[in-house]
Amino acid sequence: MVIRAGHLMVMSLLLGLMLVGCAKRPATTAATSAPAPAAPPAGTPSTPAPATPAPSAPGPGAPTAPAPTTPEARPSPKEFTSIAALKDVFFDFDKYDIRPEDAKTLDANAAWLKTNADNLVLIEGHCDERGTNEYNLALGERRAKATMNYLVSQGVQANRITIISYGEERPICNEKNESCWSKNRRGHFLVKPR
Amino acid sequence: MKRTVLTAVLVALVIVASLGAWAPPPVPAQGVDVYINVTGGGSKKLNIAIPTFTVVSGTDAGGHAKTLAAVTGNDLTVSGLFSVVAGGEPVPANNSEELRRRWSEFAAAGAHAAVHGLLAIRGERLEAEMRLYDLTSPTHALIASKKFDAGAPQARRLAHRIADEVVLQFTGEPGVADTKIAYVVGRPGAKEILVADYDGAGTMPATRNGSINLMPVWSPDARSIAFTSFMNGYPDLFRIFPFEPQRPVQTLAAFAGINSSPSWSPDGRFLALTLSLHGNPEIYVLTVATGKLERLTRHAAIDTEPVWSPTGRQIAFVSDRAGQPRIHVMDVDGTNVRQLTSSGFHTQPRWSPKGNIILYTQRQGTHDIWAIDASGANPRPITAGPGDNQGASWAPDGRHLAFQSNRSGRWQLYFMLLDGSALTQIPLGVNEATSPTWSPRLP
Repeated sequence: MVIRAGHLMVMSLLLGLMLVGCAKRPATTAATSAPAPAAPPAGTPSTPAPATPAPSAPGPGAPTAPAPTTPEARPSPKEFTSIAALKDVFFDFDKYDIRPEDAKTLDANAAWLKTNADNLVLIEGHCDERGTNEYNLALGERRAKATMNYLVSQGVQANRITIISYGEERPICNEKNESCWSKNRRGHFLVKPR
Repeated sequence: MKRTVLTAVLVALVIVASLGAWAPPPVPAQGVDVYINVTGGGSKKLNIAIPTFTVVSGTDAGGHAKTLAAVTGNDLTVSGLFSVVAGGEPVPANNSEELRRRWSEFAAAGAHAAVHGLLAIRGERLEAEMRLYDLTSPTHALIASKKFDAGAPQARRLAHRIADEVVLQFTGEPGVADTKIAYVVGRPGAKEILVADYDGAGTMPATRNGSINLMPVWSPDARSIAFTSFMNGYPDLFRIFPFEPQRPVQTLAAFAGINSSPSWSPDGRFLALTLSLHGNPEIYVLTVATGKLERLTRHAAIDTEPVWSPTGRQIAFVSDRAGQPRIHVMDVDGTNVRQLTSSGFHTQPRWSPKGNIILYTQRQGTHDIWAIDASGANPRPITAGPGDNQGASWAPDGRHLAFQSNRSGRWQLYFMLLDGSALTQIPLGVNEATSPTWSPRLP
């Protein structure tokens, strides 16, 4: 229950003050400054989310929405192992291009993979801890992809290569200095027999 | 005339945001008579008295009467609007003389308002009545009263709802005490998502799969959390229902490449997310009910971290198409892309609930949280050290934000008002905590 009597004066005073305050400020909200799309495909406010399951509906591993399928089956990363023959490559901060000295490493890696054609390869893309983990997941993906593209350009079949980004989540060095960070900004290789 | 003192105090609470942000007035809640536009902290606060709740029925073996007063008081303090200046022994029910005596005492001590809490304990149920009084009026007028009930284990939630009601009565918009925080704990290679009350109490697990779980984001109905997990080997996108038995998990996206950075549309029907299934991190919109995908960006650069505007019409995101990661904005159909921030290393866009501000993280040696008007004007720092301060998450009131900082030497979670006042470390009792995400108000 709310007691209304006697509050009108307070309310009108405050409302008046607030409106005066508003009028002095420029309107900077996105909603008013941006044109609305002619036909917004998403986000149109309407009914409550239909995807919300009934409390008893979903069990663990029983998705209520159609589970998106992958274009092709992904081999489990756990099936791959590191080998000494394939050396890591490294990246500059916030970069995903292959440095000249690393191109030599990749040439050697490509030669090994062509000689050992019965092996599939997993390329891991990693970042240092700086930056933020959402962005670093994308950055690690670009590093793995750039590494893969180089190997393909050297004649390694693309369908032998799988990539994965760990972002900043799997550092090999945990100190907070450039020497350590530079070791973490890497592309790492693992293999498994076909 | 009777209300001149309280009026003066309330006027003092009409706070001009120090950061130049103006939010549209809240939609008036039904039955609320006092409207205050509050966007920041400010030094003027309303002094409030909260005595121990009065047990009117049952036996309070659990000490709930004291807990309710303490938790309500803490909620009001961290709201940034109130100072709790008095309390003490419960005020007897149905004793108007004693009530007048205590209220006069509190008024003399500087209190402008008082919360009289009445508690009935019926077995495992708690019923509380909150009576809010104006101590600046000679008659100590009753401003509002409201009843709440909950199971005994939910006593703190009862207090949160009372505090939110008090804030509603004075500002026209409920407080944010009855909310949760989801966050990430662990070490490199093993990270789990946990859930706690916004003030750090009542910690409970969400994920518990021994893998790497990242980027929790609450759905708009506050019942589920979208997150990225390596639980199936690759960075896939899932949603978990942490409050339901067995905490069911649903797969949202498991395409080749990364499946990350979820952002719910305001109506909960769509998820903006980052996928690299076509070879490069790009932004897509997923229709949650059908799994239908729509691609929004087509650029050779990294495009990631989409975040929906509260109108549902625009999406802010991070792109390094200008050479370094910067905040960009596009319409929800992928058109009309414009760069919002310039000259800097910017990630983690967070669109404010009122729509007028976008927070982001600027990297300049260390990380700090910055704000920019959604128009692209007026970039300004929200934090300035110490240490790194990043990963901001708005409270539903658009006044508070949670973030992670290593200012103590370890990553811990904090919340504060947008103007930097009322800074509070969230006590979680873990060595490191990151990636806070503030829930919508609980249903």
